[in-house]
Amino acid sequence: MSDTRRSVGRAPRVVVSGLGVVSPFGAGLKAFWSGVSAGVCAIKPATLMETDGFRSRLAAEVPADAMAALAASRRRSRADRMALAAAGEALADAELVGGDRARAALLVGAVGGGMYEGEAWYWQETRSGRSAPGDRALRSILPFSHAETLAGRLGVNGPRETLVMACASGAASIAMGADLIRAGVVTAALVGGVDALTRICFMGFNALRLLSPEPCRPFDRDRRGMSVGEAAAFLVLEDADRCRERGGRVYARLLGAGTTTDAHHVTAPHPGGEGMIRAIRLALEEARMAPGDIGYANAHGTGTPQNDGTEALALRSVFGDYGLLVSSTKSLIGHTMAAAGSVEAVATVLALQHGLLPPTANLVNVDPEIPFDCIPGEARPAAVTAALSNSFGFGGQNVSLVFGRGDGH
Amino acid sequence: MGEGRRVVITGIGTVNAAGAGGAAAVAESLADGRSAIAPVAAFSVDRCRSRLAAEVEAAVLAPLIDQDRARRLSRVCQLAVAACELAVRDAGVSGGAGLGIVVGTEHGDFRSSEGFAAGFLRRGPAGLSALIFPNTVMNTMASLAAIAIGAKGPCVTLNQPTVAGDLAVARAAALVAAGRAEAVVAGGVDEICEVVYRKVAEMGALSPMRDDGTEGCHPHDPAHNGPVAGEGATFLVLEDLESARSRGASILAEVVDAAWGGVRARAHGARSRRMDRDSPVGRLVRRHGRSHPGFTRCYGAGNGDPAVDDWERALLAHDLDGRVGPGIVPPISLAAQFGQHAGLGALRAAAAALDAAGGNGPVLVHGIARGGCRTAVVVSSPDALRAA
Repeated sequence: MSDTRRSVGRAPRVVVSGLGVVSPFGAGLKAFWSGVSAGVCAIKPATLMETDGFRSRLAAEVPADAMAALAASRRRSRADRMALAAAGEALADAELVGGDRARAALLVGAVGGGMYEGEAWYWQETRSGRSAPGDRALRSILPFSHAETLAGRLGVNGPRETLVMACASGAASIAMGADLIRAGVVTAALVGGVDALTRICFMGFNALRLLSPEPCRPFDRDRRGMSVGEAAAFLVLEDADRCRERGGRVYARLLGAGTTTDAHHVTAPHPGGEGMIRAIRLALEEARMAPGDIGYANAHGTGTPQNDGTEALALRSVFGDYGLLVSSTKSLIGHTMAAAGSVEAVATVLALQHGLLPPTANLVNVDPEIPFDCIPGEARPAAVTAALSNSFGFGGQNVSLVFGRGDGH
Repeated sequence: MGEGRRVVITGIGTVNAAGAGGAAAVAESLADGRSAIAPVAAFSVDRCRSRLAAEVEAAVLAPLIDQDRARRLSRVCQLAVAACELAVRDAGVSGGAGLGIVVGTEHGDFRSSEGFAAGFLRRGPAGLSALIFPNTVMNTMASLAAIAIGAKGPCVTLNQPTVAGDLAVARAAALVAAGRAEAVVAGGVDEICEVVYRKVAEMGALSPMRDDGTEGCHPHDPAHNGPVAGEGATFLVLEDLESARSRGASILAEVVDAAWGGVRARAHGARSRRMDRDSPVGRLVRRHGRSHPGFTRCYGAGNGDPAVDDWERALLAHDLDGRVGPGIVPPISLAAQFGQHAGLGALRAAAAALDAAGGNGPVLVHGIARGGCRTAVVVSSPDALRAA
């Protein structure tokens, strides 16, 4: 079958057969779901960088003890270590071995790469005025180093891509990995995103006055901005037939994806949410679903006045006022940048599996302009059969994913 | 969603060290064949072990970007925007929801990242520029180019050393074939930035890689001694055949197929004895090998890095067993003419399209990078389409 041309017959169906996460709740899927379902806010005073003079002093960091316990060598970048742990967990969870693993595609969403260590080198050299040794940090500074590291260490040697699509990177890796399965190029794909905290990211959002001085409160009338976080999250996507044939687990079905661009502004979304609306509609169209079939939306939900307002506008435009349940994972673990799309996809998949919708933390007074039940405070039991996960990024990048409940093994 | 879509190339745009323009300008540069590599002019290379580069002169870029945009856009973004605008003009394609963009890059806008961090180190939080920050995210070139050409379909940035431009072309072909877009502007962009040039040279990744060697770009030559840095942007317009026909577009060539994969290797490593068990070239040969006598040419990624050159020849010799010949193994390299940068892969694809347009085809565009990322794109003459 052609690598670029779809078969004329029925395209393979795509399922999620493995999950792995390193998050501010610690390492592992169990820790992640435990924190998310309990509505715990992991946004705390930042320890990894100087915060004097900044609008915010908060971040959602992967705890030091969790980082120390990761198996990967401490000589690797923080982001590489997180990625190795999360991707390794996803592969083990899927029990993907042998040729299935070796031929699997590898798509990694990334922005910061090994910049945290690169910044430390640059800070030292600039402040001291003397040349500082930095070869190790510089070799892994670019985002593609994650994919090279994962491929080499985990033996995933199919088509390889590093997608840099700002805060939609992780979701884009899922959408494009699924396309490779549907096109018949591969039967499995390890997809996801990773970003460790970087000084440049923290300082940049501070310069844009988008950081909240308090833990972010998406959809709240008094929201004051976003909180930054760090994470790695990977999913194993598979051709449903191959997964069933080898006895793999089915967490969920990936039913549709929509990828669009605003072509409007580098940092601000289109004020009418035009690109977001198209992405959501494309995902629904591919899933062959009507808006009423979607019971839950894991929103991009950053907590900035502009993003939440525009996203609500887009959701209302597509879903109307019928009672869509909406929540923001970023209220719990901050905005994990390139990882956000895949972290939130994992949260969405687990919500479908458990029949329990994660809450929005810190939501006290719902913005009257946001006409949805945003699940304040506590998780909500709900037997939802299909859910939407939105990711929007700088440059007007929009990716929407539709997942359907899986059927177990 | 379209199924079984055929993908054609309808336009080319480039801003590189040899000049700027559309398909005609690329054809002229290739026919001329002169190397644009010269001593670095943009900054002092005192106490630097490398001194050569293929740089884009300000006079080449200035007529393409007016002063207002030049003030607002970083240089690497100017390169991307100018080349994308040239490509869509060459193709005569319009913006809209059906137009996507895929940008390959190795270094992104590193100059802006350094400037942003330097502002903080000089003046603390007050030194941080909200205007520069968006450029530190590597998708800034794609985003600004999308705004410039009105591309509202998928907007993808791929970060990859050596083969970023070829990978972008391959990914774009997949997007069009899958019906994710009617047309996609795809290629690569990089600029030479002083801090990166100095560090990469210091780390021994530029010619002269061996202390006893003479600096220069000599791909697949026994004297090869490392790549020479280049800069610029080259983009192709890939389009669904039916869309191109319906708007009466001039078709340069067909992208018969494209594939990409990974060869197991250490990060940044290259091993000439490591073969590719699931080779993208092998996959394409198996699918299309019977329908034609073989590739007439192969444009390869060899850039003078001995490890990459040797690995590429070994991989191709293995995959094209019985089909080797002059211009195939070793493949044709354009690195000595334009320097190594992300646009180079797109220039190779453009050269293949022009060969095919001239009746020479099918042409293989091959890529292999340290770390093991591998690409293969087959470009063929549009003649076969007339009967289709």
